[in-house]
Amino acid sequence: MSIPTNPKIENEKMKIVWKKTKRAKIVPINDRVVKVYVWELPVRIFHWINALSIFLLMITGIFIGRPFVSAAIQEEAYYSYLMGWARYIHFFVAFIFTINLGVRWYWVYKGNEHATSNPFRLSFWKETLETIKYYLFMKNKKKHYIGHNPLAQLSYWIFIGMGSIIMMLTGYYLLFEPQPESIYGKMFMWVAYLFGGNSFSVRSWHHLVAWGFMIFTVVHVYMAFREDYLQRNGTMSSIFTGYKIERNSDEHDQ
Amino acid sequence: MERKTIFETVLDYGLTRRDFLKMCTALAATIGLDFAETNKVVAAMEKSPRVPVIWLQFQDCTGCSESFIRSTHPKVESVLFQMISLEYTEALSAASGYQIEEARKHVMENYRGEYILAVEGSLPTDDAFLTVGGTSARETFIEAAKGAKAIIAYGSCSSWGGIPAAYPNPTNAKPITHFVNDKPVILVPGCPPIAEVMTGVIAHIITFGTIPELDHLGRPKAFYRHRIHDKCNRRAYFDAGLFAESFDDEGARQGYCLYKVGCKGPTTYNACAEMRWNGGVSYPIQSGNPCIGCSEKGFWDNGPFYVRRAKIPASQTTINPETIGAVAVGVTAAGVAAHAAITALKKKAHEEEE
Repeated sequence: MSIPTNPKIENEKMKIVWKKTKRAKIVPINDRVVKVYVWELPVRIFHWINALSIFLLMITGIFIGRPFVSAAIQEEAYYSYLMGWARYIHFFVAFIFTINLGVRWYWVYKGNEHATSNPFRLSFWKETLETIKYYLFMKNKKKHYIGHNPLAQLSYWIFIGMGSIIMMLTGYYLLFEPQPESIYGKMFMWVAYLFGGNSFSVRSWHHLVAWGFMIFTVVHVYMAFREDYLQRNGTMSSIFTGYKIERNSDEHDQ
Repeated sequence: MERKTIFETVLDYGLTRRDFLKMCTALAATIGLDFAETNKVVAAMEKSPRVPVIWLQFQDCTGCSESFIRSTHPKVESVLFQMISLEYTEALSAASGYQIEEARKHVMENYRGEYILAVEGSLPTDDAFLTVGGTSARETFIEAAKGAKAIIAYGSCSSWGGIPAAYPNPTNAKPITHFVNDKPVILVPGCPPIAEVMTGVIAHIITFGTIPELDHLGRPKAFYRHRIHDKCNRRAYFDAGLFAESFDDEGARQGYCLYKVGCKGPTTYNACAEMRWNGGVSYPIQSGNPCIGCSEKGFWDNGPFYVRRAKIPASQTTINPETIGAVAVGVTAAGVAAHAAITALKKKAHEEEE
């Protein structure tokens, strides 16, 4: 039996992604339906490590910024190490977060067509506009996307891309600033010039962008559920299994 | 005329060589030298003549001068009468008017390239705001800076602009580094700086004939290398998670960490926690008051002293990031809920059509 191909997928040529070479694997279910291997294993692992990291970093980060509970044993400092542990977890997870993101950047080049994005094309921005119209319930020409739509891609560029870089730079600056003479201290010394010149302004950036991540998370989770609800294409299960369901024809509209 | 060395001056004051050696030992400790290096200080003090100093005051409050005269190690008397020759200062000079201005000009001519220029206060870019005796402060400074061996910026105003430069900065005040770029400038920020740091910087210049090692912002590393937070006597309470919640609670009485009542120690570089004030008696955090971060750039605009805040980049606005963040997430969640409701209704309408 020959593998049925989805003409819609073939024709799309994935204009808004970087590479055309490595296509996502398509597995037929029956004549009408195929499943597309959208999120490869490294992407899924990245996603969940990233999500868990952000969760832990946010909890410990809020505690470091504004300690919402006190140590249970009062009077002597000797018995407790609450802030110490919060800071330790925050720093440890920060390194995991960094390594994880590094692996994901590698996968941009190694992975399939859905692991990458190319905003340096006019079509990307035109389609982003159509997608925004779609989400505002306006008349639109939004295409059907198997992977991320361009608005979603843009949000990853802003939050997971830029946001992570800002958080890592400011974070490592703050971590190493007590040792300005160390090699790590010198590595991140320049960060202060980029973010307002002193420790306080670097810290402010770190606090504010952290909340950007929270806003992103709310919208991201909602959008995923909404996609699943409207398309019935297994968006929610795809982040566990990697597969999304697609019709084996172009009879559907968006 | 051969000038007397510092050692000779000490003897003139009726002190013994033993007193002189004690002074040198204390000085070595102040400027952060090893005990074994005391002989370097002794050798320098035996050979070097007293260094002439011109001390100019601009948009300031004389607080730095007040701090300076409270130096204990070295004692301010020994600094003033034995180590340096303070030729011109508005606060301390006995002479005034024409005579003192002549003395200043005399030093600037006769000790060209030798004298140290100490500056207290910021300078306005518009001369109309600060002109004394027909000469603008800017001209006075630039003229004095020309012949100086080195310039010491005493206090946050001369180092960063300080309170005169605080928002909305009516006089358009600038730090002195804005007006000079061909002389070594040592920034000694603080509002005021610690007295021993002020004298220690001068002592270093006399001892070694060079300016002390500076950090990337131009501050002497010996005194501004560490954060208050990392040397704080209350740090154990921070790590333990024990915080004073207000100034009259049990935590405050127990000496808990002042982080939650707005301590700026974690963002402030100064020697307060090590050198302390008034001859090492205490410093703000030890006395129960949070650090206000007075030696940091723009400290006056970094939000209220007794609250933790974050500054919105490129603005003067400080906010409570957790409160604003939580509200922003709440608003987003409400928006999402509304969007979800519309989505569901539209879908239902669409299905009914079919």
